[in-house]
Amino acid sequence: MRRPPAASTRGHILIEDVVKVYNPMGAAMLAVDHCTLEIEPGEICMIVGPSGCGKTTLLNAIAGFHEITSGRIVMDGEVLCSTERPKARPGPDRIVVFQNGALFPWKTNLENVVFGPVMQGKLARNEAIDKGRAMLADAGLSGVEHNYPGEVSSGMRRRVEIVRALMNDPKALLLDEPYRALDSLTKSVMHEALLEIYYKNKVTIFFITHDLEEAIFLGHRVAIMTTRPCKPKKVLNVDIPHPRDYGVLTSKRFRELIEETNEAVHEEALKAFQAGEKEG
Amino acid sequence: MEAAPKVGAADDAIAVLRETTPFGDASEALLARIAAISRVVRYGAGARIYSADDTADDVFIVVSGCAEHVFKPEVGAREALKRMGRGGVFGWAGLLLGQTRRLATVTASEPTEALRIDTEALVRLLESEPLEGGHVMERFATMIQREFAMPALLAQVRRLSGPLTEEMSSLSLTMYRLSLWLRSPRPYLMLIGFALFLSFWYLAVEVWKLPRFREMPGITGVVKEWFAPSPTYGLSLYTGEYYQHIAMSVWRVTQAFFLATVLGVPVGLLLGWSRKFKEYVFPLFETLRPIPILAWVPLAIVMFIATESAVVYLAFLASFFATALNTMLGVESIDESYVRAANCLGASRWQVFRHVIIPGALPFIFTGLQISIGVSWFSLVAAEMVSGQYGLGYVIWTSYVMVRYPTIVIGMVTLGLVGYTTSAMVRIVGDYLMEWRVRELALAER
Repeated sequence: MRRPPAASTRGHILIEDVVKVYNPMGAAMLAVDHCTLEIEPGEICMIVGPSGCGKTTLLNAIAGFHEITSGRIVMDGEVLCSTERPKARPGPDRIVVFQNGALFPWKTNLENVVFGPVMQGKLARNEAIDKGRAMLADAGLSGVEHNYPGEVSSGMRRRVEIVRALMNDPKALLLDEPYRALDSLTKSVMHEALLEIYYKNKVTIFFITHDLEEAIFLGHRVAIMTTRPCKPKKVLNVDIPHPRDYGVLTSKRFRELIEETNEAVHEEALKAFQAGEKEG
Repeated sequence: MEAAPKVGAADDAIAVLRETTPFGDASEALLARIAAISRVVRYGAGARIYSADDTADDVFIVVSGCAEHVFKPEVGAREALKRMGRGGVFGWAGLLLGQTRRLATVTASEPTEALRIDTEALVRLLESEPLEGGHVMERFATMIQREFAMPALLAQVRRLSGPLTEEMSSLSLTMYRLSLWLRSPRPYLMLIGFALFLSFWYLAVEVWKLPRFREMPGITGVVKEWFAPSPTYGLSLYTGEYYQHIAMSVWRVTQAFFLATVLGVPVGLLLGWSRKFKEYVFPLFETLRPIPILAWVPLAIVMFIATESAVVYLAFLASFFATALNTMLGVESIDESYVRAANCLGASRWQVFRHVIIPGALPFIFTGLQISIGVSWFSLVAAEMVSGQYGLGYVIWTSYVMVRYPTIVIGMVTLGLVGYTTSAMVRIVGDYLMEWRVRELALAER
């Protein structure tokens, strides 16, 4: 039940003994401490921790935005980064969906969606446009092609951004608290939309959040991280079968899982809060 | 016998349409065309008109009877149950952005007669009448939000495509904007502002004769001189010389502005894009920038033997700094996420520059260009006062030396008008290049 459907064979991510030390103004700060985590192909792996615990650092290392200090990250047998080559090269096989959204406001939604394949020269512009229209329609987004991102609701922008990523047929999606700024109504719509997209595409999803309910609702597994330095404190297998819908939220098993993990999350939140107090 | 009731039916349809919110203030011609694509359907008491999650194909308007709505809970409508009688519009889900399914189940709670209009046919019809069609769509959005208490997230109507927005002639768009502007209070406030200023000028100089204003030319004298076919001091709307001065100044500013843009934008982009380049150049840049243009005059004269190029050089210098600095700030203002997203999507360094850095910096670049054309006029006049023949700055200065006071004011007012025009032209070009931003700002204003 922990193993996702066998349909996926790609998108295996191995984070092995990764350490990240920041060095702001000479004072070394350990952000990630010997973190090891294996993500199965096609799995939704949720990373939960309080704000500023270092989980984004981990995502930035996989995406190739930041260097790691030591350890290595391997994807489908290919070493992305290691102690010897500390910075991965960002690429269309693992695409980040950003916290505040990063659709280019100066391009229409359709132009945004075709950006990846056109830039890489993988598709001719016309082909990309056909594919883009089809994928937008598939995600229930027809009619917004010629709008600019600023003209549609924030929920729609997030969906367009995920479609933009999927256009590249990525092995993994890396989501950095993408629904943080949304109200709860929109958020619940977005969760179901994400699952719907996932059931159609089966990519590996590495999803960072600080919302435990969101994590258990979406994930095959939930990794609860310790606070600064960041490493898995507890990994929870969510044994609620997919496909899921909003009925899950009121199920008994869901409540039990929340109770089981709430304490661990709360502990870390408290630690983060106290650390913040000390610094303040 | 056959034709008569049809005409009557069309009139009835128009009468109902007139009672609805979206079509209430549409023109007779548009209503007739809508009536032509609508058909009347009857439902018995308790009949289901459509169910939630059906394909959203037609829009309905109640002619008589009562339609009862039960919204899907996820829709988040404040009232899950809604009844509507004559003039009520429902089944508009197909007009919403990204919505293809019915949001509610609707039943006729008593024998009900309704108009049915195919959504796509309606959209095509509205698209063929861009101005009115757009207005009808806006009224739809308002109705959905107000009367159905829908969350703003869902109540976004589709944008009419085709002739309306993409190919709508710029003239009709401009006329439409103009008519909106004339209906707002803004033009009248502007006129009051001007009137107050001019009457103060008139009263201070010619009626109260305040001590400070004793030597000042009065408004009547200036206007008379400006519009005189044979002006006392030789310069008015009727003399060729007047236009020669304007043309000369405009030509100089054009050269200076063009050079400043062609050099300033690339330098600014490089300053923002390459840390190394910035380290070499920026300290020097910041040392030269605060030096007032007047301080450059002697060196400019020494450097350029011809006074003409010296004047253009001075106007160029100030423009260049404004453009380059704003462009640099524009590049630095771009959110790191956009660059990262482009990298993720496989864009090369050059592609990032072309598709992220340049368009991302464009709003700042155009702010810079507007400042640039302003300071270009500013330093041009300073330069023309010191050296040069012809030009508005030259007019002002020589008129002072030769005690032709009304001509000074004519020169000043002309400068204001010409300067405003050039700056408006820069803004129009900017709006044209940054449609996305114009739309974003328009949404924010609403």
